[in-house]
Amino acid sequence: MNWEGLELSILGPACIAGLLVLATHVPLGQQVLARGIIFIDLAIAQVAALGVILAQAMGVDEHGYGVEIAAAIAALVGGALLTWTDRKWPDYQEPMIGTLFVLAATGAVLLLSNNPHGGEHLKDLLVGQILWVSASQLIPVAILSVVLLAVMWLWRARLSGILFYGVFALAITASVQLVGVYLVFASLIVPALATTGSEGPRRLVYAYATGIAGYVSGLVLSAVLDLPSGAMIVWTLVGCGIIARLLLAAGGREKTAAARTVASH
Amino acid sequence: MNRFALLLVTVLAALGARDAAALDVFACEPEWGSLIHEIAGDAVNVDVGTTALQDVHVIEAKPSLIAKVRRADLVVCTGADLEVGWLPQLIRQAGNPKVASGAGYFLASDQITTLEKPSKLDRSEGDIHPQGNPHFQMDPYRVLAIAKALAQRLGELDAGNAAKYQQGLANFTTRWNTAIKGWETKAAPLKGRKVVVHHWSWVYLNTWLGMEQIGALEPKPGVPPTSAHLASLVDLTKSAPAFAILRAAYQDPKPGDWLSEHTGVPAVTLPFTVGGDDKSKDLFGLYDSTIDKLLAVVK
Repeated sequence: MNWEGLELSILGPACIAGLLVLATHVPLGQQVLARGIIFIDLAIAQVAALGVILAQAMGVDEHGYGVEIAAAIAALVGGALLTWTDRKWPDYQEPMIGTLFVLAATGAVLLLSNNPHGGEHLKDLLVGQILWVSASQLIPVAILSVVLLAVMWLWRARLSGILFYGVFALAITASVQLVGVYLVFASLIVPALATTGSEGPRRLVYAYATGIAGYVSGLVLSAVLDLPSGAMIVWTLVGCGIIARLLLAAGGREKTAAARTVASH
Repeated sequence: MNRFALLLVTVLAALGARDAAALDVFACEPEWGSLIHEIAGDAVNVDVGTTALQDVHVIEAKPSLIAKVRRADLVVCTGADLEVGWLPQLIRQAGNPKVASGAGYFLASDQITTLEKPSKLDRSEGDIHPQGNPHFQMDPYRVLAIAKALAQRLGELDAGNAAKYQQGLANFTTRWNTAIKGWETKAAPLKGRKVVVHHWSWVYLNTWLGMEQIGALEPKPGVPPTSAHLASLVDLTKSAPAFAILRAAYQDPKPGDWLSEHTGVPAVTLPFTVGGDDKSKDLFGLYDSTIDKLLAVVK
């Protein structure tokens, strides 16, 4: 046991980063699950990383906003490409996504043979370090999250095609740099998967609650057990997902039983 | 928050975990933790951020690391950009002005001259450190120079114990100089012998013991080998011939084993820092073990 890391000023920024990621990823995750394109976040994140490496190869300063812009442009191009394949070969969207993922990942390896410093950036993008998050990083992501949430809300009935892939690409690019691919994947998929039995706004509430419980308990456990935070949160997210699933199933049985009692009278 | 801090203090006090009067020192790598222990003994509390089985170029963020830097009076790290991927973030996140710069921020690389300092900065040369090769813990003379500067710094921060630190330094210097003579005599058969390395981690050891690096598995630092590079390395290792393939305890054994299989030259896993093997319990053990392992294959 280790109590010294359990301090709000250490865990607070990481917790806010987690909440921001959840804000956009919980609704997006339900879409991803419904479309059956689970690995799209890995593909988009890899394409964004490839964009960063390309930008550096072309001489863009690695610490400026140029890198963020390069990542966003690359992710949007990847999103546009996937929109096109989705329209052209809808039955093969998942294998297309897989192929794009390995192409982007190996493209990075090929480019990196001449630019080893890009490798550090690539690793940052994939593993992510949620504890290193700073306020100056959180503000742009918060603004972007609000914009993306507004777009998702305004076009909620028609969030398909280029609009879906565009929103998704921007959300992933921002969140991956904040918390890394593993957490992004878990934040997208686990809350959505845990609440498949529910519908509409109720499902969104359950999914958000699952996600928040996962992040908070993961951060606390990582402090107390002295373990890397990102990996710990993935495990608590899944744990909270299982608990949510069991609670919802129990609630569902009660409701069915109540409905049956009413019906029999 | 205040109540929580109070609770924290109470818990720590109840555990008797730390001596409130003593300096708190955070060392980035085990070799510096060990060196501080040699100089200051029990007069300081030392936390070490990494282990010998970790690649210190990259580490995982844990809440406890931030907490340790937050309460530190002194941070002791290698420098020369070795920890550039995480130390700046760690110090920023800890928000502890004592160690952000000035006397509380001690970089070993500032106390010595480094080798392999590039004359030009060019990405195409690989993952180079503009401030030179940072793996200087395997040169005993540089370690001694760092020990002197460290004792001085400890005395500046904790004037009450300054004499004690100087005493500790004098004691360490005597034992270390004796040990260096022993190592140099013992390692005489290594002089002029050729080695192949995994990462460019051994230039200081090689320079000290008179060994020669003829090739590296990573053609440029941090870059994985290509097939053409491996083919030429096999020829070079056989024809030179190299007597050993050197790698650190934390490194993947596969590339070295592959080269060893193709050339018959033994691959040797050296501890690289304190804690890298069973015998490397302190700096003396680290050097003893390193030289023993090299002598075991030199024949």
